[in-house]
Amino acid sequence: MKFLPLILIAGLTGLSLPSTAAASSEKGLEIATELDKRDTGFKDSTSTMVMVLSDQHGQSTQRAIRNRTLEGSSEGDLSLVIFDSPGDVRGTAFLSHTKKAGSDDQWLFLPALKRVKRIASSNKAGPFMGSEFAYEDISSQEVEKYTYNYLRDEKVNGLDCFLVEYDPVDRKSGYSRQLVWIDKKEYRLQKIEFYDRKNSLLKTLSYADYNKFLGKYWRADTLSMENHQTGKKTQLQFSDWAFQTGMTEKDFQKNALKRIK
Amino acid sequence: MKPLSLSWPTAILLTCGPAVSGEVNLTISPQVSYFPSHAEGTIEYGKSVELKLDAYHDFDAYRAELELIARADADDKGRRLVEARQAYMRRSFSNFDLYIGQRQTFWGKAESRNVVDVINQSDAAANQGSEAKLGAPSLSLDGYFDFGDLQLWYISRFRERTFNDGNGHPSSGLNVTTSLYERSEGKEADDIAARFSTFSGDWDFAVSGFQGTAREPLITPTQDSSALNATYMLQETIGFEAQFTGDPTLLKWESLHGTQSGAGFDAAVAGLEYTLYGAFGQVWDLGLIAEGQYDTRPQAAAERFYSAGLRLVLNDAKDTSFLALMSQDQKQEQSLIAFEASRRLNDWSSLELRSQFYDAKKSGLAFSGIADDDVISLTINMFF
Repeated sequence: MKFLPLILIAGLTGLSLPSTAAASSEKGLEIATELDKRDTGFKDSTSTMVMVLSDQHGQSTQRAIRNRTLEGSSEGDLSLVIFDSPGDVRGTAFLSHTKKAGSDDQWLFLPALKRVKRIASSNKAGPFMGSEFAYEDISSQEVEKYTYNYLRDEKVNGLDCFLVEYDPVDRKSGYSRQLVWIDKKEYRLQKIEFYDRKNSLLKTLSYADYNKFLGKYWRADTLSMENHQTGKKTQLQFSDWAFQTGMTEKDFQKNALKRIK
Repeated sequence: MKPLSLSWPTAILLTCGPAVSGEVNLTISPQVSYFPSHAEGTIEYGKSVELKLDAYHDFDAYRAELELIARADADDKGRRLVEARQAYMRRSFSNFDLYIGQRQTFWGKAESRNVVDVINQSDAAANQGSEAKLGAPSLSLDGYFDFGDLQLWYISRFRERTFNDGNGHPSSGLNVTTSLYERSEGKEADDIAARFSTFSGDWDFAVSGFQGTAREPLITPTQDSSALNATYMLQETIGFEAQFTGDPTLLKWESLHGTQSGAGFDAAVAGLEYTLYGAFGQVWDLGLIAEGQYDTRPQAAAERFYSAGLRLVLNDAKDTSFLALMSQDQKQEQSLIAFEASRRLNDWSSLELRSQFYDAKKSGLAFSGIADDDVISLTINMFF
């Protein structure tokens, strides 16, 4: 699973289904599982990302970030994010070991102090780098982190899609639910609506510019998040994708943070 | 990766081997300070600028890294400095890295003070608490194993602490003019150190050992009381570190045990950090920090200090954050109130505000001499 933003899933362990609406739960889970399955096996990936933050007055600011992801074997994915700009965070690196259940392990490297700091990962609802993406939107998603409910079929971006409700298991999530549109042909995320804890529409995330890599792995180059409550927007523009670069778990250990450039 | 933007250091580095990757960055940080309670004859307004050049170059299994600091101060000669915080060559092997040259590392877990952080000398005149360090001229090895990480250090010579001049702040009004050493080799004496660190679940642990010259000197007046001596003693220590990364409470511990000039001592910091996410109905994080410090060495300002603070992070596009911290000794005779704020101005600059207010209830205490050294400073960091 890639670190950034695809709501994807790995492996499926015995989930018990609620007795009511079992059929739609079962179908929702099947869709989420298929989406995950289709993205399994990419081993590792690297990419660069430009994050453009725009406020309600149209003023914008940018960050440049490099991403490295290693597909998890028994646990979730390992991911590393390196900040190239703005200047005051240059060289800062963020390492995350995603867990299927419980809190992820996370570390931050502060280059001025040469300090690797273990940090709490409970701030999943908080903004990532002041953007409209929360930590939970950009961290690797595992099947076990949601329960599912297939609602109906709908057309998005001219594509026939499944509309599935994702309900976060973790009560620290900032969301009561997410409405997720997945195209039926390729099982790619097309759109997500995030509802806050009061069940009001908070944000909409749109995926565009999909490319296929290694003949089967789809990645969207443009992700646009709009916050309906504040009017702020964040766009992620990906480029320079590379897969199966030969990275190993050693490249994602906390001691690797000190050597990262 | 950013393209190489400055030409001369790159040219030097490129002569080392086939170009693979490298980068050069420059930071310029002008600073103005105001010392509201300055004593007669000492600086009222401080003006300084610090230049930092960061460069590295990778070729094959080698990396050359340079972090150069040049600091100029209008009036405080003690703050003037040219320093290679890092200037090393690294050779990477499959399970370890070997470093030779001037290098920095960080040991510790706590926030208010790091008693186990014994490798690098403090650049105390930088006036950034314990955060600014000098490079250690050394041969060091970082080993990586399934069960944890091991560091071995040989530090070939001693680095003296930097001090503000007598007319600067903080200072007791006198210059530190002479370094005295317990070890006969003085500045040429070497140190050895090692640290093993590991983690399991929510727990991080480390244990370390050090034999060499203590980084923190004992400051005493010269015989005629016209200046100050810095006396560096022999120290043999074992350090312990632990951190529990809870949800949302962090518990931190570090302690140093051993002998200094043959006399036993203990020093420790125990801390707690609790974060309220989404504070005040905003996307803000409010961190509550409480730490207790203990130190039986004669250099310590008091045997026990207690610190409590608040950290407010706005999580906005400008990364605005505030920190307020109050420290007091166990007799409530000495205290320090610190307030810090920082905010990004644009993609290439940020603003930092720092202020510190000292108080001592009577004379003869460590803080008595610096009670007139309150400071408010403003720094702009410009990144190129």
